[in-house]
Amino acid sequence: MAGAVAGLLLAVVWAGTGYRYEPYVETPVVPWGSERSTERDLKQQTARLRGRERQLLSRLKAAAPQGVYIVIDQTHNRLYLKRDNDILLEAVCSAGSGMVLNEGSGKKRQWVFDTPRGSFEVLSRAENPVWRKPDWAFVEEGEPIPMDLAERFDYGSLGEYALYFGNGYMIHGTLYERLLGRAVSHGCIRVGRDDLRKVWAMAKLGTRIYIY
Amino acid sequence: MVLAVGACAPVPTEPASDSPAAEVVRLEQRTALLERQLELAGGKEFYLVLDPAAPDLTLMLRGAQLRRYAVLGLQIGYPRISWFGRRHPRTWQGVTWSNGELDPPRPTDRIVVTAEPVGKGEAEPEPPPMPPTAEELYPVPPRFHIRFSSGLSVEIPPREADASVGRFARLRAWWSAKWGDVVAAMGLRDRDVLRLRVVLSPKDAESLYWSLPPAVRLLVLTGDPATRRASTTGETSVPGTR
Repeated sequence: MAGAVAGLLLAVVWAGTGYRYEPYVETPVVPWGSERSTERDLKQQTARLRGRERQLLSRLKAAAPQGVYIVIDQTHNRLYLKRDNDILLEAVCSAGSGMVLNEGSGKKRQWVFDTPRGSFEVLSRAENPVWRKPDWAFVEEGEPIPMDLAERFDYGSLGEYALYFGNGYMIHGTLYERLLGRAVSHGCIRVGRDDLRKVWAMAKLGTRIYIY
Repeated sequence: MVLAVGACAPVPTEPASDSPAAEVVRLEQRTALLERQLELAGGKEFYLVLDPAAPDLTLMLRGAQLRRYAVLGLQIGYPRISWFGRRHPRTWQGVTWSNGELDPPRPTDRIVVTAEPVGKGEAEPEPPPMPPTAEELYPVPPRFHIRFSSGLSVEIPPREADASVGRFARLRAWWSAKWGDVVAAMGLRDRDVLRLRVVLSPKDAESLYWSLPPAVRLLVLTGDPATRRASTTGETSVPGTR
């Protein structure tokens, strides 16, 4: 009998433990302190606050990207060309694979092929870009790293255009359009030819790029 | 005697919500909110803006709207032990919550390749394996949280709005969540003292889980819905001009 009562008590306690959820209700504006102010004081305060509000709104607008900007969702491999909050173009792209490459011999270096997250801007633009292959490109292919700089140049693999946004990262074309939509790049953003032409036409030097 | 004095004292009349005093308070709230938004837009961290009036949850960075998630339901959860609520009187709207992290964390499963030594073998090197997509890589839990320092957490049940989920699956999810809640409510640590339960469409909820950046910040808007919407979108309209 005592065991049953204890069990019941425990069940009641258990049922009443956890989280109680309530619907969200907007807290009403309750004037406090200022109800004793004179009408003149209130008018002055209102005018001051309205001025401050206008100032803050204008600063907030200035902080937001102006004109066209690029948003890259690297999880879903999508590139959006936007103006204000309107989407001008949605393109399938390829972001960094996240793969780790270890050098088998020599210096035993390691590379991680991630696309960086954050805010960037177009620092330079190139038509018919030539890729200067970094060391990892040779290591990955099991080739010796050339001493001659000319042997590093690769023509055509970046497509028609490249938009450089710092630290060796670019938005560029690809020879492997069938892989678009998969995270297979070495950190750059690969875009299909037709979409790249549209991005090239609208993104100028200084265009903001947001990657998440 | 005290009762009598209390009964005779003039009852303070609540000022009307459109009185000049209320307008001052509204403007004070509004400017404080704009200051927080400006502060977030000036930082390098990603941030979420939850607007209960829209209602939506927006992922932002430096004032740019990256992704908007429509909110289908919003509730506030307080811990309670044995039917006794533990309400914390802290302000949670209009303040910036920081260091938001996913719980359970999203696993990172990297493919590691060790390159063949130079010149070993004449054959063409094998192409690196195809990395799986986010959908293939990370199963989204039936409920996840974005936990912020100082005790606020946003709870997202991805399958809540999914009509295809059967009763048994819902019961199982509820059972599992109940145990988690019992443990969390009884916890002595200063975490989960307040929960915002945000219901998104299953697709949006999964997308948020897969792509939420680390150390995200959060601002929950408050105040007059007609005016605060403008600040989220960066428009410069002011009250009375729309």
